Amino acid sequence: MATDKVKHLDCVLESHKIRKEQALLDKHTAKRGEIKEALEAKYTNTLYAPFNSGSLAKNTAVNTKFDIDLMAPFKRNAFGSSGTLEDMYENVYKFLYDKYHGKEAVVRRQKVSIGLEFYADADGHVVKIDVVPGRELNQGEYLNDKRLNLYVYEQFGRFEKGADHLRSNIHAQVKHIRDRAEAERDSVRKIIRLLKVWKIGKGSGPKSFFLELITIKAFDSKTITGDIWEKLKTVLEYIRDNAKTVSLPDPGNSGNDVADTMTDSEKSWLSSDMDTMLTNIAASDDMIKSYFRINEKHPCPEEKQENRYGVKREGASNPPANRFG
Amino acid sequence: MNLTCKDIGLRLEVENTLLEQLYNTGMKHYPNEFGGLLTGHYSEDMKTCHITGTLLPQKYKSSRYYFERGREGLLEKLEKLYHAEPRSIYVGEWHTHPDGEKGPSDTDKQAMQTISDHEEVTISCPVLLILATSPRGYTPGFYVNFKNKLYEYE
Repeated sequence: MATDKVKHLDCVLESHKIRKEQALLDKHTAKRGEIKEALEAKYTNTLYAPFNSGSLAKNTAVNTKFDIDLMAPFKRNAFGSSGTLEDMYENVYKFLYDKYHGKEAVVRRQKVSIGLEFYADADGHVVKIDVVPGRELNQGEYLNDKRLNLYVYEQFGRFEKGADHLRSNIHAQVKHIRDRAEAERDSVRKIIRLLKVWKIGKGSGPKSFFLELITIKAFDSKTITGDIWEKLKTVLEYIRDNAKTVSLPDPGNSGNDVADTMTDSEKSWLSSDMDTMLTNIAASDDMIKSYFRINEKHPCPEEKQENRYGVKREGASNPPANRFG
Repeated sequence: MNLTCKDIGLRLEVENTLLEQLYNTGMKHYPNEFGGLLTGHYSEDMKTCHITGTLLPQKYKSSRYYFERGREGLLEKLEKLYHAEPRSIYVGEWHTHPDGEKGPSDTDKQAMQTISDHEEVTISCPVLLILATSPRGYTPGFYVNFKNKLYEYE
């Protein structure tokens, strides 16, 4: 029997709910708090209050990858009047490396963040936190304009290693996504979460922020109605048709184009991925299962058609004596 | 007789001649309750239970309001059926409610859960047949214990 695409997608979303991994989430939250306190203690007078960004803050998270980011906003002169963004990044990296690396976590440099992956605990849980150092544009202005410069350690998209920086209001970025996701829970939020499931299953793909913004752009550009599959299909078609040319203004700085976080080749691959996916699902409904996978750790309740008489083991039964009324 | 448990999608098949046989057996003990085991087999897709026979207890106690089934001698008969060709297995229980209703009592529900949970019972969804009997005839009620709850077939 062909897969019921709506039922399957509903199950994908249900199985990826954050609350199904509450214990792991609690550990992430606790560790994030610990890192925040350590940064505040180390950079007492040069750091504004660190805050949460990432998909958890934006209410678009899935439980197979929490995507917990901790923004660390530094004062303009935190690393000397002539201190560079690289100085900031390397200073924070060294602090976190010395404190955690080889002791309880692996600490590594990433595109604009510093990744901390803690060793598995007794439950097999692995906590991953990304710390994103940022620096205010002008001394003392952060509390008013919320704008930060980030250091680009590793080239991504059109941003070259070390040679450029991102300038944005991260608070505005988070608020933009969160507000849309919460206002349109059955459309924008569900589609973003499905695209994240697709990306995690694939093992690579655009940055989450790109997927979030292009989904919102699709909803703003087209009339998207129907059931969850019809909505998803329309967004996939939009990405297929527009990934190579779309402009995605950064809600934190309209001068930034988030589409620039991908190279032209990466955009072509994304368009091609969408085309292949749509073609394959049109040919066979069952293909949706390979692109949007249920989190097998939290399967959906058994459906009627899946119910069976159960056999515990082979062999004759020896039913106990019993009293009936 | 073909029945379906709509809540969970499981089916059940039983011949009317077997029901007649059970009624006649029950009436030999009227106005007291009586009962025994149900035997049969499952379909290949494990969605249908075919009830094909009964095994009666050697020892039992009963009154107008209860029936206690003993287990003596039943295992040997069940093993014989299991190794026969075609194979039959234990699929559940039946008993009468003389001049009563076909619905299960709390004692019946508890008994079926005990059977489901029992380590020497190799099936997990035993069927319960209650025959509401009187000299005028009988009304059967079929139920299955599925995931710790008793569901009725229609």
